[in-house]
Amino acid sequence: MVSEKGYRGVVVADVVKRAGVARNTFYENFGSKEACFLAAQEYAMSTALERVVEAAGVHEAWPQRIRAGLTAFIDYVAAEPALARLAMVDALSAGPASVKCYEESQQAFISLFRLGRDVSRHGADLPETMEEALVGGVFWIIHQRLAFAGEISVPELLPELVEFALTPYLGPDEARAVAAAGEAEGSRATRRR
Amino acid sequence: MNSRNWLVSQYGTSSSGSVSSVLLSDPVNPVESPEFPPELARLPPGRHGLPREFVARNQRERLIAGLAEAVAENGYAGTTIAHITRHAAVSRRTFYEHFGSKDECFVAAYDTVMAELCKRVGEAFEQEEDWPQAIRAGIAAMLEFLTAEPHLARLSMVEALVAGPVVVERYDAAIQSLVPYFQAGRKGRPKEILAGLSPTTEEALVGGMVSLISRRIFAGRAEEIEALLPDLVEFTLTPYLGSVEAAKVARES
Repeated sequence: MVSEKGYRGVVVADVVKRAGVARNTFYENFGSKEACFLAAQEYAMSTALERVVEAAGVHEAWPQRIRAGLTAFIDYVAAEPALARLAMVDALSAGPASVKCYEESQQAFISLFRLGRDVSRHGADLPETMEEALVGGVFWIIHQRLAFAGEISVPELLPELVEFALTPYLGPDEARAVAAAGEAEGSRATRRR
Repeated sequence: MNSRNWLVSQYGTSSSGSVSSVLLSDPVNPVESPEFPPELARLPPGRHGLPREFVARNQRERLIAGLAEAVAENGYAGTTIAHITRHAAVSRRTFYEHFGSKDECFVAAYDTVMAELCKRVGEAFEQEEDWPQAIRAGIAAMLEFLTAEPHLARLSMVEALVAGPVVVERYDAAIQSLVPYFQAGRKGRPKEILAGLSPTTEEALVGGMVSLISRRIFAGRAEEIEALLPDLVEFTLTPYLGSVEAAKVARES
């Protein structure tokens, strides 16, 4: 519903009509439109982050963990564009609780990225806020694509974001190599399907 | 002086909430613009012999400043038209002569603030010949403005997002308008550096930079913004200069 009308345009009547439930049922489950929105956002973000953790956990090496994590996240966004739009575009204008949830979901990535300092040759010299900025940049790109195109293109976006995320730790050449190896793997997986 | 020094000096309202003092030029912050001499910043009731157009423009600007004050006090959602007109010390009827709604008034305020911010960033950037120094100067100008005007910072980076889709679109556009400053850094870079820059590099840098700033404003830690300068300079220059050179530019004072 929100993906059609934006957060402010949606009223509880729209939600119950679309969900095929009674107005009473809505209020038994959620106190308000705000609470319902937040529940949807939290669901989307926790599902996406579960997949990130699961995908990253398969790998030992940090660069591959980052690549796998970003891949899982972007795959989820591509597969669920309406939920992703709710959680990454509409959430920003849905009030303080939603903005807080949006920021907290970045925190999981920030922790994962920070481990890269241990494998980086100049890990100790990196600016304190770098992970926050990197993750903010990745989220911003996805936000922009969802806000203006309503969807994202995985093959176009994924290698660029992986390279962007890894470059400060590994340098441009190695970062590009890891991103390119991921692309090769991705296209093999597509062919198998 | 707790808020919007810039709006005060522009439009001659003080940030104090009381009706009697709102229109007076602030003694601490005298109105210097020749267009708004202090004695005219207050429009006395009745016949003041001022051209109609001037009065109208002055009222509009006072309403914009009034909205900024009201939003700082109540947040966007909690702000009513009564709050705005009280801060601006104009009638409700006057409000509706200028704006159709609270949203419309907010859009005007947002545009005013962003135009000023972009102007300052652009001017600071243009003053430096050397691109890395120009980036540093542009970022410094932005952080300085947001630090000096904490309420306008909140209005433009936090409240803007809850003010509806029209403002969110403008917010996105304002952030994207910073992209060309970074793209200018591609010029004259060696081939191997350019090969490492993807088409989305600049967007990601700008998005990361704004995210770092707005997270602090959202959390009520606006006072930390100015100290972000070296980190932001290093973060944004690294893809173009490499981490060693970027850190050098970032850490020089």
